Amino acid sequence: MSDPIAIGLAGVSKRYASTLAVDDVTLSVAHGEIFGFLGPNGAGKSTIVKMILGLTYPTAGQIEVLGQPAGSLAARAEVGYLPETFRFHDWLTASELLHFHARLARVDASLRADRVRELLELVGLKDRADDRLSTFSKGMMQRVGLAQSLVGAPRLVILDEPTSALDPIGRRDVRDRIRELGEQGVTVFLNSHLLSEVEQVCDRVAIIDHGAIVAEGKLDELLSAQEIEIRAGEGAEAAVREAVGESSVRSIDGRLRVRVADDGEIAMLVRRIVEAEVPLYDVRHVGDSLEDLFVRVAERGDV
Amino acid sequence: MSTHLIAFFTLREALRRRVVLAAALLTLGYLVLYGVGVWFGYRDLQNTPGGPPGLTEGVVSLMLVGGLWSLNFIASVLAVFLSVGALSGELDQGTLHAIAARPVRRSEIVLGKFVGFTLMLAVFIGVSASLMILIVAVITGEVVGASWSGPFLMLLASMLLIGLALAGSSRLSPLPNGVIVFTLYSTALIGGVIEQIGDVLESAVMFNIGVFSSVLIPTRAIWDMASAQLATGGFAGELSAGPFGASNPPSGWMLLIAGLHLALALGFAVRSFSRRDF
Repeated sequence: MSDPIAIGLAGVSKRYASTLAVDDVTLSVAHGEIFGFLGPNGAGKSTIVKMILGLTYPTAGQIEVLGQPAGSLAARAEVGYLPETFRFHDWLTASELLHFHARLARVDASLRADRVRELLELVGLKDRADDRLSTFSKGMMQRVGLAQSLVGAPRLVILDEPTSALDPIGRRDVRDRIRELGEQGVTVFLNSHLLSEVEQVCDRVAIIDHGAIVAEGKLDELLSAQEIEIRAGEGAEAAVREAVGESSVRSIDGRLRVRVADDGEIAMLVRRIVEAEVPLYDVRHVGDSLEDLFVRVAERGDV
Repeated sequence: MSTHLIAFFTLREALRRRVVLAAALLTLGYLVLYGVGVWFGYRDLQNTPGGPPGLTEGVVSLMLVGGLWSLNFIASVLAVFLSVGALSGELDQGTLHAIAARPVRRSEIVLGKFVGFTLMLAVFIGVSASLMILIVAVITGEVVGASWSGPFLMLLASMLLIGLALAGSSRLSPLPNGVIVFTLYSTALIGGVIEQIGDVLESAVMFNIGVFSSVLIPTRAIWDMASAQLATGGFAGELSAGPFGASNPPSGWMLLIAGLHLALALGFAVRSFSRRDF
C-alpha cells in the first residue's frame, strides 16, 4: 500500500435538519497508528465514526478509508468495527456470531473455524463459545464484540468505546489487545471517554467539541506545556492574569493553576508576585494530563 | 453477494426465536378444529336427502376455500408481524450496525430479509395448505383444491405485504409502520366487499371503489384469484362468492399489477434504506 493514509477526512460536515453535528472536519490517520478520538458527549464523535464506516453520509466533504471512498465495499472489507452499543442478535451463540461475521467479511471457509476459535480464546470466552449471547453479561458482550471486529483480519479497526462495560482487568486486556494490533501494523481508531486508556495506548489524539476538531497531535506534544499551581496571598491572581493572559489561568480552591510554556515563565511569574508585594507560599509543578487538556478544551474550546 | 447470507440469517432467526414454532402450533390446533368441523359438516350433508347434483362437491369445495381463507389470513398477519420492524426496529436496537459495516450492500440486507421472510411464508403456506387439502380429502373422499396455483397466489399475497412492510420499515418505526400496513390491508378487504355489493347492486361507483382498492393494494384481489383456482364443482363459483371470494375473479391483469406493486415496494425499500443514516 503506497498510500500512507489509513483514514482521511477532508472538509467533512454533517447537518441534521437545523443542527450542524460535524463542522468542516479535516483529519488524517496514518497506517499502523493507534489514534485516539476524544470529546464530550454529543460532540460528534460517533457521527464521524459512522461516516468513516459509510453508515451515515456526510453532507459535505470527502472521506477516504484505506485508499477507497468511505463506505465502499472494498474499504469495508478491510475494516473491523465494534459499535458503541455492542448489541448483537442475542439468539446467536458466541461462536455463531463470529462465524456469521466471518462469512460477511468474506473470510475463506477453510480459515473460519480456526479464526473463530482463536478469537474466542483471545477475548477469554472459549468456554462460552456455544452459549447464547442472551445469557452474556454486558462485559462479555463487549468482549465478543471485540472478537467480532477482528474476525475479518482487518487492516483498520474502529473501536467505539470498547471498554465502557469492562472491569479494570478487562480494560487492561483490551489495552493489551490494542497494543498487539499496533505491533502487527493494524491501524486502530479508538473512540473513548476513558482518557487514561487513550493516554496509555494512543500514538496520536484528536479532541472534538461541538463538531469541530479543537486539538490534534502527538500526545507528548499536546501535553508538553506544563502547568504549575501557585498558592499565594490576595492579589496574586490579578498579577498572574496580567502577566500570562486570562486564558492560561484557572482558580481552583483558592489556588491558581497556570499553564506555562517553559521554566523562564515560572521565574517571571514568581518575580511578578514578589514585585506586587503579595506573599508567595508555594509553587508546585503539577504537570499536565490528558484529562486536564480535555477539560480545558471542553470548557473553553481551545488549548 | 451476501443476499443469501442475510436470507439464511433471517430464516434462522425466526426459527430460533420460535416465531415459526408458535405459528405452527397454533395452526396445527386450528387444523384439528377445522378437521372436526369438516367431519361433522360432511356427515350432516350426507344425511340431508335430495339437493341438486354436484351439491356435495360444491359444499366440500366451499369448506376448503373457507379454511384456506383463514390460513391466508394467518399467513398475512405472520408476514406483517415478521417484517414490520425488520429494518427500523433493528436499527433502533443497534443490532444492524455491525452487519451493515461489513462489505454488504444495503440492498442485500433488504432483499435478503425479503427472501428470508418469503421462504418462511412459503413453507408455512405450503405445509398448512397441503395438510388442509389432505384433511378434506381424507374425511370426504373428495379431492378438491389440489392445484399449485392456489397456494402460490396465497404466497404472492403475503409477499406483497412483506414488500410493503419492508418499504415502510426503511423509514418508520415498527408501530406506525404496522398500523399503516394493516390499514392498507383492511382497506383492500373492505374494498373487496364494497366491490361485491356494487356488483350486485349494479353500482358503478361502488364497484370502482373496490377496483381502486385492489390496485392500491392487491392482496384481496390476489386471494380472489386463488379462491377461484381452489373452488371446483358445479356450485363452487356461486357458493364461494361472499366472504371468501369474488363471484367474478380478477383477470390476469391483476397479476401484472401485483408484480408492479411488489417491484415498486421493494425498489422503494432498497432506495430509501440505502440513503438512510444509521
